[in-house]
Amino acid sequence: MRRTMLYLPGNNPNMLMRGYLFRPDGLILDLEDSVTASEKDAARILVREVLANREFGECEVTVRINGVDTELWRDDISSVVPAGAAGIRVPKVDTPRTVLDIDEELSEVESRSGIPQGSTKIFCLLESALGVWNAYDIATSSKRVAAIIPGGEDLAADLRANRSADGVELEWVRRMMIVAARAAGVDALDTVYPRITDDDGLRREAEFTKKLGFDGKSVIHPGQIQIIHEVYTPTEREVESAKRIVAAAREAASRGRGAVTVDGRMVDLPVVRRAEFTLTRAGIAFGEPEETPDGERRG
Amino acid sequence: MSMNGSETGGRLLGTARAGTIESMDCLVTISGSNGGRRIEISGAGAARFKEAMELKINEVLDRLSAPDVKVSVQDNGALDIVLGARVEAAVARYLGGGRS
Repeated sequence: MRRTMLYLPGNNPNMLMRGYLFRPDGLILDLEDSVTASEKDAARILVREVLANREFGECEVTVRINGVDTELWRDDISSVVPAGAAGIRVPKVDTPRTVLDIDEELSEVESRSGIPQGSTKIFCLLESALGVWNAYDIATSSKRVAAIIPGGEDLAADLRANRSADGVELEWVRRMMIVAARAAGVDALDTVYPRITDDDGLRREAEFTKKLGFDGKSVIHPGQIQIIHEVYTPTEREVESAKRIVAAAREAASRGRGAVTVDGRMVDLPVVRRAEFTLTRAGIAFGEPEETPDGERRG
Repeated sequence: MSMNGSETGGRLLGTARAGTIESMDCLVTISGSNGGRRIEISGAGAARFKEAMELKINEVLDRLSAPDVKVSVQDNGALDIVLGARVEAAVARYLGGGRS
């Protein structure tokens, strides 16, 4: 579940230590834009130590490395992957070539470090018109790709537009991102909402991107997490309906039947999958029957 | 290159720094020493955690096979791993490579 992925500046111990306490679904330890050029070395060491020695609960912890147009990215990868980064967020991915270069480097580092091949995921930031245009090819260029994410400021500038309150300049990009991600079988994660004091604006944008089909949103301030979780978490009614659908499908399968009716509606496989996704998003396990407190199985 | 607080970097006249004096961080200064390894700690953790901090600093210096140096730490509540990371960064800068 990647409803919220919180950026933490890589050279700020206070934020690195406390970020997970705000309970985002994921953390992005940042070595790129939030770290000045003179502090890149110190940030890389600090992030490596934090990864290797801290517990982050159930947070998925990734690292935004410096771009492949710098001399820093290989050292970034060789430091943070052995230390335990679950994934690498790669800035300025314009073509599949970038992903292939990263994939190759990750394979070498995993091999050297005794990490299972292919276990480190790649999260692609598409921050140019070219990157957006190539979204599907990028998303399918490596099995490691877990998500594609449209850029914000950089992308708007490349489109020769300005970021507006209603985000109209990124609207088509967001719709395309969903189509590309779904076609490729990866997550679509939205860019950050930069106006950190505008809660209403954040809620409107999150509601819009959820409606489009996004899996979640990048976050630059802990105060944004709760609002996005509220928007992206299914309502009680949606959860109850999904539970009935999944239970009915399981019952039908146990009787060797493929289709079933729930609440007067024919339920087939796509509906069951959507219901399972709703339960996942609500944080409810659906793979096994629920257990009662005394250990007896239910359902 | 700044030598005055939160943004530090690089080697200057035989001295290198890493870290900041922000909350939960520490500023580590490495300089040459003719008389073996020397460690000075001031700030938030100096009184209560001096021994543990010295242990961590020595552990990092040993791991990096650092030459005899003077290590000065201005602490503002840095946890063990932050102290270790800052010492490592300062030593790397002192040795001139800025390496990790």
